[in-house]
Amino acid sequence: MSEPAAPLLPAVHSAVEELRRRRVRFEVFARAGESTHLRRHSDGSWERRRSREVGVSCRAAGDGRAGFAASSGSSARAGREAARAALGTMLPAPDPLPPRELLGCLAVPGRPQPSGAAELEALAHAFTASLSAWGERLRLLELRVVEGVSSSLLTTGEGFSCTAEAGGGVVEALLAPQHGPLRLVHWAARAVSDLQPERLAAPVGEAALALSRGHAVRRQLADVVLAPPVAARLVLALVRAATDGRENALVGTGERRRGRGPWHVVDDRAGPRALLPLPCDGEGIPLRRVEVIADGVVTGGWATWAEACATGAPPGGAVRPSYQDEPRAGPANLVVLADQPQPREALVHRLGRGFLLDFPGGEVRSDGSSFALRAAATAISGGRPDGTHPIVELRGSFRRLLGALEAAGDDNASFSLACTVTTPSLLIRGMEIA
Amino acid sequence: MAAGVTPDLGGLAERIREAKLRGFVDLYLARTAEVWWRLAGGAVTSRRELLREGAAARFTGSFDSSDGLDRLILAELLGVPPRTLPAFTLAPFPQPPDVAPVVAALGATECELHWRGGWAVLLADGSETVLRRPELLEISLPDGQRLLHAWPLAPGWIPPQPVPAPVGAVRTGNATVLLAPAAAAVLFHELLAHPLEGDLLLRGSSPLAGRRGVRLFTIPVDVDDDPTAPSLPGSFSADDEGVAARRRLLVRDGVLVGMLCDRASAAALGGKPGNARRATVHTPPRPRVSNLVVRCRRGDADALRQDAAIEVTSLASGSVEPRLGLVTLAVRSAWALRRGARDQALAPFVLFGTIDEVLDGVRALAGPSQPTAEPGWCSKDGEVVPTGAIAPWVLLAGLEAR
Repeated sequence: MSEPAAPLLPAVHSAVEELRRRRVRFEVFARAGESTHLRRHSDGSWERRRSREVGVSCRAAGDGRAGFAASSGSSARAGREAARAALGTMLPAPDPLPPRELLGCLAVPGRPQPSGAAELEALAHAFTASLSAWGERLRLLELRVVEGVSSSLLTTGEGFSCTAEAGGGVVEALLAPQHGPLRLVHWAARAVSDLQPERLAAPVGEAALALSRGHAVRRQLADVVLAPPVAARLVLALVRAATDGRENALVGTGERRRGRGPWHVVDDRAGPRALLPLPCDGEGIPLRRVEVIADGVVTGGWATWAEACATGAPPGGAVRPSYQDEPRAGPANLVVLADQPQPREALVHRLGRGFLLDFPGGEVRSDGSSFALRAAATAISGGRPDGTHPIVELRGSFRRLLGALEAAGDDNASFSLACTVTTPSLLIRGMEIA
Repeated sequence: MAAGVTPDLGGLAERIREAKLRGFVDLYLARTAEVWWRLAGGAVTSRRELLREGAAARFTGSFDSSDGLDRLILAELLGVPPRTLPAFTLAPFPQPPDVAPVVAALGATECELHWRGGWAVLLADGSETVLRRPELLEISLPDGQRLLHAWPLAPGWIPPQPVPAPVGAVRTGNATVLLAPAAAAVLFHELLAHPLEGDLLLRGSSPLAGRRGVRLFTIPVDVDDDPTAPSLPGSFSADDEGVAARRRLLVRDGVLVGMLCDRASAAALGGKPGNARRATVHTPPRPRVSNLVVRCRRGDADALRQDAAIEVTSLASGSVEPRLGLVTLAVRSAWALRRGARDQALAPFVLFGTIDEVLDGVRALAGPSQPTAEPGWCSKDGEVVPTGAIAPWVLLAGLEAR
């Protein structure tokens, strides 16, 4: 038992005890997470938040029935309450718990040591200084520095037990140029100390200023380079569409699409590129690297044990965003890999004429088969900047997108979205922009 | 919240006051039970349950929260030895309701029900304030509709209908649209609720900053925030800083007259506090809307239908880009109109405009205003609170359909 998971033991033991008495198959999952938020407001004042989220959940199955419940807290009472509630929710259903012989843990890199309060504050001040270098031309409206660590413990009635630890950090800044829309900037890393304010702030500030003025773009088909912050959001939307069980336009044997270039999207759960490596999935199944898209072809996805039993898909890839959630299939650590990554300058040169989309302007809108995303754009002509546009909208179908991605950069950056996404810049041909 | 389901805190508030904690603002305690039922073929196919409890302590410049409610946790949050706190008794988690009548009324509709109930108490200045809120029931349909109601459901509740299958696509370009009350509620939520939040006004990132006293609408429109409406999901007896609930005037005769403030933004902006809300025990109170009420007693929606090309029955989402004031309304279901009658169901599309175009474009209202189950949940930086609305039919011109 790892030391960080020790505080979870009272809840886990009491839940196990309660469930054993009822002679059901069961699984108990507990997680304790602690995060520190530092927030700088527009008037220069600072707000400090620390939150500790801890709880336990139970899945029970037997006699053709299954149930799930969760309770917050790490006390023995919390464990008992979760177990009793789970037993009370049992309804006729297939057994969702994987068999013992399928379960196992991999060795993964340990989580980084969290920063101390003083170190976190120093970093926040350094970001503030770096992002305030443009005076009234570009005001720092808000800065958020968040660091979190978590420990979790999964145990089953058949004797499997596994602990996992994770940690990560995010820095977000809301910038207000004198003209044009506000810009939200986001960086993520395994530890916030890995984020270097001096290196990160300057290009972002210059770009935010440059893109504060400009005119609307006429509706056209254009080639685009998506910078990592924009690419990450689109990749996540693409992966969701490609693996959504309800939308089969992209996935399956009959509708595979071949892209033009050798690039892959993988869910690299155990590392080495994973931002949050874990030893097993949310049900205790050893992690496998899931290749979601290979050379532009949708090749795979995730399935919980229950889904695998129902569909015949290989099991693995359950995630549990919190102790409150039942395991569900989905991405954890998406990474875009290119066989021949190019420097971003080369990518822009290869673009020739088109648009470089630098800052995302909100969430990607998607109906499962098509998307629309807003971003700030630099017009490119002959591989060089040729005008700016504070807001453009890129639209298209995911099917077309799969075939339109031509090349990727070497400027990988990580983002903490619905899952973590690590991607370089992406060159895409022939999408609608307006 | 059911009467009598409150904790006996044994003088905890007084003990905290006596401890004279430096910079102490308040201590918030909450217990919530939630149940989700998945329905298919007229029966419950799965059920899951979540029991949550936690506490949050605010000090000047800092906020600490933790799951769990016991003396050790409270002592750690307050930075005092556990023995200085009295023993206290927690009221039990509320019991989930019998939803069998709702299940029966929904028939074979595939959907999910989500019920939430609980209690919360705020301790500040040596006293306890019980924060009473309605229990909630949300009905989620596979087509994306998320309909939020206060529980128990109002008499005369009508089960939701799935969105009709689209037959045609919207014609791109400027359009005059008639918004049904559910869609109008989302529009007014985006136009007024978020932009009038005190913290956004304070940092200048609201398109309505500096427009108090200015005419927003070209027609007489009255809009209130009303947490006292008992049958709406966003109601409360006192806000999450302990300020007693009061109806707040936001727009009178089309002129902007009010805003939504917590204590901090009220002090800075010269407003009145009373709209501080917490999404969970782990998020500090921030200015948020409770129930947005757009008043209209008279009118004839059929007459407005004659002037519109499209009738929008529900919106999937709405957003306002604060600096440029760009409004985006994602339409989930709509009908093309021909000579004032529904012609064909339209596939989802988007309406665009600037906030000024939308405000100018509100041409007429038709009542009576009625409670709507959307927008239901209001999200701000990922912090989600329940919200209610009462809205009329709205004729809206000048937006671009795409």
